[in-house]
Amino acid sequence: MVLKYLLRKEFTQIRRNSFLPRLIIVFPIMVMCVMPWVMNMEVKNIVVDVVDNDRSTQSQRLVHEIEANNYFVFHGQQPTYAAALSNIEHSTSDAIVVIPQHYSRDLVLGRTPQVLVAANAVNGTKGSIGSAYLSQVVIARASPSAASVQSQVSTLYLYNKQLDFKRFMIPALFAIVMMLMTGYLPTLNIVGEKEAGTIEQINVTPVSKWTFILAKLIPYWIIAFFVVTVCLLLSWGIYGIVPAGSIALVYLLAMLLALFFSSFGLIVSNYSDTMQQAIFVMWFFVVMLLLLSGLFTPTRSMPYAVYLTTYVNPVSYFIEAMRTVCIRGGDMGSIYHQVLALLGIGLLMSMWAVQSYKKNC
Amino acid sequence: MNAIEVNNLSRRYGKVQALKAVSFSVERGELFGIIGPDGAGKTTLYRILCSLLLPDEGTASVNGYDVVSGMKEIRRRVGYMPGRFSLYQDLTVEENLRFFATLFGTTIEENYDSIKAIYTQIEPFRKRRTGALSGGMKQKLALCCALVHQPSVLFLDEPTTGVDPVSRKEFWEMLSQLKEREMTIVASTPYLDEVRMCERVAFLSEGRIRGIGTPDDILTTFRDTFNPPAIENPEAGTKSNENAIEVKHLVKAFGSFHAVDDISFTVRKGEIFGFLGANGAGKTTAMRMLTGLSQPTDGNGKVAGFDIRTEYEQIKKHIGYMSQKFSLYEDLTVAENISLFAGIYGMDDGEIRRKTSDLLDRLDFSAHRNTLVSSLPLGWKQKLAFSVSIFHDPHVVFLDEPTGGVDPATRRQFWKLIYDAAKQGITVFVTTHYMDEAEYCDRISIMVDGKIKALGTPEELKQKLGQPDMDHVFTFLARQATRCAD
Repeated sequence: MVLKYLLRKEFTQIRRNSFLPRLIIVFPIMVMCVMPWVMNMEVKNIVVDVVDNDRSTQSQRLVHEIEANNYFVFHGQQPTYAAALSNIEHSTSDAIVVIPQHYSRDLVLGRTPQVLVAANAVNGTKGSIGSAYLSQVVIARASPSAASVQSQVSTLYLYNKQLDFKRFMIPALFAIVMMLMTGYLPTLNIVGEKEAGTIEQINVTPVSKWTFILAKLIPYWIIAFFVVTVCLLLSWGIYGIVPAGSIALVYLLAMLLALFFSSFGLIVSNYSDTMQQAIFVMWFFVVMLLLLSGLFTPTRSMPYAVYLTTYVNPVSYFIEAMRTVCIRGGDMGSIYHQVLALLGIGLLMSMWAVQSYKKNC
Repeated sequence: MNAIEVNNLSRRYGKVQALKAVSFSVERGELFGIIGPDGAGKTTLYRILCSLLLPDEGTASVNGYDVVSGMKEIRRRVGYMPGRFSLYQDLTVEENLRFFATLFGTTIEENYDSIKAIYTQIEPFRKRRTGALSGGMKQKLALCCALVHQPSVLFLDEPTTGVDPVSRKEFWEMLSQLKEREMTIVASTPYLDEVRMCERVAFLSEGRIRGIGTPDDILTTFRDTFNPPAIENPEAGTKSNENAIEVKHLVKAFGSFHAVDDISFTVRKGEIFGFLGANGAGKTTAMRMLTGLSQPTDGNGKVAGFDIRTEYEQIKKHIGYMSQKFSLYEDLTVAENISLFAGIYGMDDGEIRRKTSDLLDRLDFSAHRNTLVSSLPLGWKQKLAFSVSIFHDPHVVFLDEPTGGVDPATRRQFWKLIYDAAKQGITVFVTTHYMDEAEYCDRISIMVDGKIKALGTPEELKQKLGQPDMDHVFTFLARQATRCAD
């Protein structure tokens, strides 16, 4: 019953805080309204310069085709390759198409004219995808037969039919929400009490370890639950994206991740004496966990040694399972592996957390 | 020309009038005291004089420079030591001093002579982290830092709060040395013996100057505040023979350092036991063991009948605790704080409501039931914190420097509460740096270098050591300390 009084205190303190209530409202809105648009790997708006050395009807057609394509922004015709290259050097364009002399004549005579596509590959993805798009357009124009071969290969996109990147990102964004709400906030709260000296006062009372820890975590779990709900509603309202699988599984995964993050936060707070220390330690681990989790980059393309770390990275399990449930509509059977892993890591961390909180030393 | 001229100075923060039409002047080379209760406006006054804060009305000048227009000149000529430690806890003693010297474009070597008298006392520890120094040492270092650029005016905002009597004496001896060098010093203090060392004092209360004059004049005129009639311990000598605390050969060692070195004593039920010692003598460490926050390295003890090694969770149910750092939640209201701590000790809502009203009525506090603790004056917070710590009727209550930084009248009121608690049979275990408070205790112990050097009633100790009062007893014993503070 002591828990009731401690919980009441925590909620009162959160409410009185000038910053936390606003954060709790604004954070999910920010994450859901802005992040899906910016965390986007699709390549669009490739700025193209064309150097037409042929000036024939055929070459003009190719230029018009590029102009008309949605993926390209036609930047203009340049007199020489050097002029076009200087545009790339100044970052005003991304790719160059050089049409050779006698392009039209060679086409008619059935020879194979060589069109040069040069792309800025500072951003490798953008460079390679851009040049691939361009060569497709060039090939289709040059030999209609090649285009017809392509139309005989049928591609079927599974699960995410419109290749919508948002559908892919949104499940992963829940990891960031959980990290802040159940990892950072309770940690800073506990270290704050340490700095103010009030934790000493609690330590000389008969409040048990467990009660104290639960009183610190439950409010943030409830807040996280609320925030996850807001995020789900927003993704449905704004993007029309709803999880293909069961909502209950989404909550289950979120709570399992909360178990990990809050245990982790507790461990950090038990070993730090100041806010500054706690923030830096948390920051270090959180950046590692997120970057190595497959949130932004596919884990399988990591070097093998680094890929092995995903076996102990709970965020990685969470994101994989969330994508399975939300995009592919997986059920418990298809994510039990991840659920068990999350549960295992979470319990291990929470045992350490309780062990390292010392009322008497 | 006067070193400091203040005319009609006013300053308000929102609704609060911090200073109202304050005027006074300080002569060059004078040791001027500003005294008054917590929240009287002392810190605001200091900040305005150091050109850190702009006055709303009125003018002030330091060394002939106006605090508004002559900001740069003033900052080069004054030294300011704020009440809370202004040092970097993670830097060493020497690094701190060098940093402050660099700020003023000078070096330690250049001004070594001017700080020598003080700095030689802490120089042996110059490689030590400031955070690991005791309170008295930190104050000496802070003073060095304020003096390193050879200021001609020195502002000291309660420099000795939380410092033991011996270190305080040394500190004030240093100030009188500085005075000989024609330095103007403005200092505030809650200690009466320090007030008497000033040449003139101004009594500031609720933002107004109530009087300026020699210390004796002021202390006599405002007798009620500064020297209220001593309170009588209502029932001396009628304690039961049961022991509330028993300690035998208690040791706490950190590596090879024995913070508490083999102490033994008993405290009877209902007794008020004063646990004195210089900063760093091991008081807090001993108290942490008795309250179940830390495990003894050796020896044993019982509090309220429970073993401090094994039954510390049981002990916690039967004790109350109030520490020098604030033990109430500043962002909760008075009533919320009470109900939180009462709830922790297992009272139900009905009982809490009834007892809360009782308590607030008794303290004459009912109007502030829903006031945030952060907006209460220090003295009230302390009274409230004490009342909360005995709200669940514990067997023993531990008070760690409960009355730091408040004026004598407020401290007397606080001690009335302690006597009330003792009357109810609660054993009171208290540490303090105020020697007048030591006289109020039934029995006291004085700790030096981790050992108890004296134990008995205040009268017994005075007779045994042939000293006129507790202050002398304490100084006599604490001067024997051989180990460096901390």
